[in-house]
Amino acid sequence: MVGKESVAMCSAGHEDLARVTWNVPEGHVATDSLPTFTPTDFVAVINQTLEYAYPSVMIVGEVASFKVNQGKWVFFDLKDEETSIPCFMTLWAMRQPLEDGMKVMVRGTPKMTKWGKFSFTVTAVQPVGEGSLKKAYEMLKKKLADEGLFDPAKKREIPKPLDKIGVISSTGAAGYADFIKIVNARWGGMKIVVANTQVQGMDAPDQIIRALNYFNERNDVQVIAIMRGGGSKDDLSCFNDEKLVRAVAASKIPVICGIGHEVDESLCDLACDVRASTPSNAAEMLTPDRKAEIAKLKRTMLQTRQAAVQKIDAFNVRKNIIDVLKNIKREFAVKEDYVKQKITMLEALNPEVILKQGYAILQGEIKVGNEAKIITFNSEIITLIKEIKERNQNG
Amino acid sequence: MAEEKKKLNDKIAELDKKVEWFYSDDFKLEQAVEKYKEAAALAKDIEKDLTELKNEIEVLSEDFTK
Repeated sequence: MVGKESVAMCSAGHEDLARVTWNVPEGHVATDSLPTFTPTDFVAVINQTLEYAYPSVMIVGEVASFKVNQGKWVFFDLKDEETSIPCFMTLWAMRQPLEDGMKVMVRGTPKMTKWGKFSFTVTAVQPVGEGSLKKAYEMLKKKLADEGLFDPAKKREIPKPLDKIGVISSTGAAGYADFIKIVNARWGGMKIVVANTQVQGMDAPDQIIRALNYFNERNDVQVIAIMRGGGSKDDLSCFNDEKLVRAVAASKIPVICGIGHEVDESLCDLACDVRASTPSNAAEMLTPDRKAEIAKLKRTMLQTRQAAVQKIDAFNVRKNIIDVLKNIKREFAVKEDYVKQKITMLEALNPEVILKQGYAILQGEIKVGNEAKIITFNSEIITLIKEIKERNQNG
Repeated sequence: MAEEKKKLNDKIAELDKKVEWFYSDDFKLEQAVEKYKEAAALAKDIEKDLTELKNEIEVLSEDFTK
C-alpha cells in the first residue's frame, strides 16, 4: 500500500486494543508481513504500546546524576547494580528533596523520546529506606524552618469547648478507631465530620490536602484533626510531603496532628498548631473527660454552697454586731438620761442656785456674841449675833 | 445531636455565670437560696447530659482521590 493509510495489529500481545494507524510515506512499500513506519509513527506506536502495557508503574532504585534545569525540569538516573534508567519529571511533582545516592520509589510511565531515547516520566517520587527518608526529612525540615513554617509564635490554641471537629484519616485505620473510641468515651454531644483519605502511600498527601481544603472552604469545624496510627518510616513518610506540610501550616482552621507513635516526628507535626503523640493522645487533648467533669461539677456546687453559707454567716455576724451596737447605743442613751437627771439634781443642789433664789448661807459658830458670815447671791455680810431664838418650824 | 451539644455547652456557660454570682458583689442574701436551687438543678441536668450524650459521626461521601 503506497501513500495510503494502513492498519496493522501490533504484536505486543494486546490484540484487542493495539490497533494502530500510521501513514506509509510516499515511494515506500509496506509488505504484508512487516509493518513499516515513519520514525515519528514508530515512536508513537511504541509509546502507545508502552502506555497500554505500563500505564503506571513503580520502580525502586538509587538516584544518580540528579539535576534541575531552568528551575522546573528535573532529570536523574534511577539505577541498581546493573541497570540505569533515565528519568524526567517536573519540579512541581517533586514533593520531597532528592539528591544523588538516595533510594527512592518512583511512579510514572515509560516513554520513548522523539530522539529515540528511552525515558521514564515520573509523576511521583518518594524516598524509601531509613537513610534516604532521614536525609530528605532533614533537608526539607531545614528549608521549611528557614521559611518560618514551624515558628512557635504562629501556633494557635484549640478552641474550647468543641462542638464540631473535622477529622482527616482512613476510616479503616487502627489510629482512627482509637481516636473515635477515646473521644466517645471521654465526651459527648459533638459532631465529628470525617474525611476518609489514604494515610500512607504516594497518593495520600494530595488526598489529605483536598480534605484540608474541603474543611477550610466550608469553615464550619472548629479544629481539624489529622490522624494516623503507627507504622514504618516509609508508611509515615507521606506526612513529610512538602505541599502537605505547607497546606497544614496554611490552614485557616487550627490543626492537630496525631501521627504514629510518640517517637515519630513528621514535618506535619512540626507545622500543625498542636502536636499529639498518637491519635489517642489527640482525642485526650481535644476533649475533657466526662467523669472528671462530673466530679468537677459536684465540687463546684459544693464550693458554691459553702460560699453561700459563709456569706450568710458573715451577714449574720454583721447583723449581730449591728444589734449589739444598737443595744449599746440604747443603753448609752439610758445612761445619758440618768446622768442628765443627776446633773439636773446636782444643779438643783448647787448653793449658787439656792443663793440665786434669795436664800443666804450663815457661816460661823452660832452663839450670842460671836461674829457670823451671811452669804447672799450678791454679797457677804459679817454680823454680830445678839440673840438666838427658837423657831417655830410650822410657821 | 449537635443541637443537644450546643445546649450542653450553653448550660455549662450558664452554670458558670450562676456560680460566679455567689462570689460577686451582686450577691444578695435574699436571692441566695433561690439562685442556689436554680444552679443545683442546672448542675444535675448537665450531669445527666454528660452521662448520656453521644457524639454524632458523619463520614463524608466526598471522594478525595480526585
